[in-house]
Amino acid sequence: MNKLFSVSDVNLSYGDKHVLKDINIDLYKNKVTAFIGPSGCGKSTFLRCFNRMNDLIDSCKIDGTILMENKDIYNKKYDVVDLRTNVGMVFQKPNPFMMSIYENVAYGLKCSGIKDKKVLKQRVINALKQAALYDEVSTRLNDSALSLSGGQQQRLCIARAIAMKPEVILMDEPTSALDPIATAKIEELIEELKKDFTIIIVTHSMHQASRISDYTAFFLNGEIVEYDITKNIFQNPKDIRCENYITGRFG
Amino acid sequence: MNNLKTTKLNKIIDKVVSNIYLLMTLISASFMLIIIIFILFKGLSPFMSNYQYGVVNFLDFLFGTQYRPDMGIYGVGFIIINTLVSALLALSIAFPISVLTALFVVKIAPQRLSEFMKVVIDLLASIPSIVYGVFAAGIITKFTMTIASMLGVQTYGGTSLLSVVILLAIMIFPTITSISISSISSVSEDLQHASLALGATKVQTNFKVVLLSAKQGIFAGAILGVGRAFGEATAVSMVAGNKMFGPTFGLFNTTRTLTSTMIAGLKETSGLDYDIRFSIGLVLLIIILITNFGLNFIKNKVGKTHEKN
Repeated sequence: MNKLFSVSDVNLSYGDKHVLKDINIDLYKNKVTAFIGPSGCGKSTFLRCFNRMNDLIDSCKIDGTILMENKDIYNKKYDVVDLRTNVGMVFQKPNPFMMSIYENVAYGLKCSGIKDKKVLKQRVINALKQAALYDEVSTRLNDSALSLSGGQQQRLCIARAIAMKPEVILMDEPTSALDPIATAKIEELIEELKKDFTIIIVTHSMHQASRISDYTAFFLNGEIVEYDITKNIFQNPKDIRCENYITGRFG
Repeated sequence: MNNLKTTKLNKIIDKVVSNIYLLMTLISASFMLIIIIFILFKGLSPFMSNYQYGVVNFLDFLFGTQYRPDMGIYGVGFIIINTLVSALLALSIAFPISVLTALFVVKIAPQRLSEFMKVVIDLLASIPSIVYGVFAAGIITKFTMTIASMLGVQTYGGTSLLSVVILLAIMIFPTITSISISSISSVSEDLQHASLALGATKVQTNFKVVLLSAKQGIFAGAILGVGRAFGEATAVSMVAGNKMFGPTFGLFNTTRTLTSTMIAGLKETSGLDYDIRFSIGLVLLIIILITNFGLNFIKNKVGKTHEKN
């Protein structure tokens, strides 16, 4: 199995608050890895380490190394723009720009310097198809992205991310603001996407984690308590805290 | 029993209070109405056949290129053009500076500097126009004169279109900036994160996402700003020079705006020369209205609106 990320001894704090403690984990290529755990356990913070979104918070301090294909992404020479083109992200709340559907998907491509209109159009359409949204919006690409439903908006955000042809897609509770039908669609989509991308997903839903992920990491108070193949975590957890959480005794 | 009584009392209070609100609304709305009716009545009277001081031809008034009260000629066509030229030039200088300042204050400046800048901008907005006027008469005219003499052009002591434009640009800068600041600060963090996470740089994010999302507010600022530029009389009349014919397109020529025409010698005149100022006021109102429509039109064209529909 191919290691994509190799995380060693990562500690992260916001000011005095120690949020991640001695994290060591390897994440694999073309797999879906789920981070689960109670609110405030640091899983979203950890997710944001992979595309350095934590850099935006002034008080945030991070130690340790995160290697992506053997390159330290926190090295000063590593360009954060390159990193983020390579590691896409989908947020908790759908957040399309106040632009047309087409422009939303083309935005990242344009920012990265692609100007050829034919190339842009082709990549936008491919991304929309890949995100299983194209059939619903093909006749109104110039309409406002805000006219879409919540679930469609979230798939648009996924399309926007995959248009950049990243290696990894980070998903931070991508379905928590959606209804069950829209959620099912996104889960189906994730199943499709893992052929081409490595997906790391933070989720509050045990069922979601067990349905869609290959690996699961259980976080508690800033530590990874257990990390294994998803089946093992859900059927045969080794740590009692993990078992308690999964069976719904707390959290 | 007691409970029922208080509910009843509360209902009555509710009704009384909401009627008071209605009354207040009607009073303020009626002021607007009274002003418009009064100006309409006074402003249209010189064009009516029964006007006592000698009828003015409406078309001559609207398209005239001379304003000679001493000869009984009242043409404001060139003044309308002058007003548009000076206000729009001022806007085209102040608008980019204001928007970039606002972007700097909200997104780039360190917090202390940003707080300081906000105070400065608020102070600038509250300086009375007469103070701007003496500043313009004392400093800006000197500046204009210097530039003119460097270019080998004569000015009338610096009173010129350029002085008016600089003065107005300075005066509307705080208005546009402070409204842009509040509208840029209200752009949601989510959108900026989304942009950064797509590999956009901070500059790209600021220009393509933040400014676009703040567009509504920024244009509201521009509309208020240009309204102030059109409406400013005191300060403008101190540096305009009140030329009697036109229009003026040369930056170093004296000019005359609708407001400076209305205010010049208002207290020392009567009859037609007095009444015609209401007609000019009417023209000014209409021009402001048209310009607002124009700016709204541009707003909808720029980067296309994709608000929630």
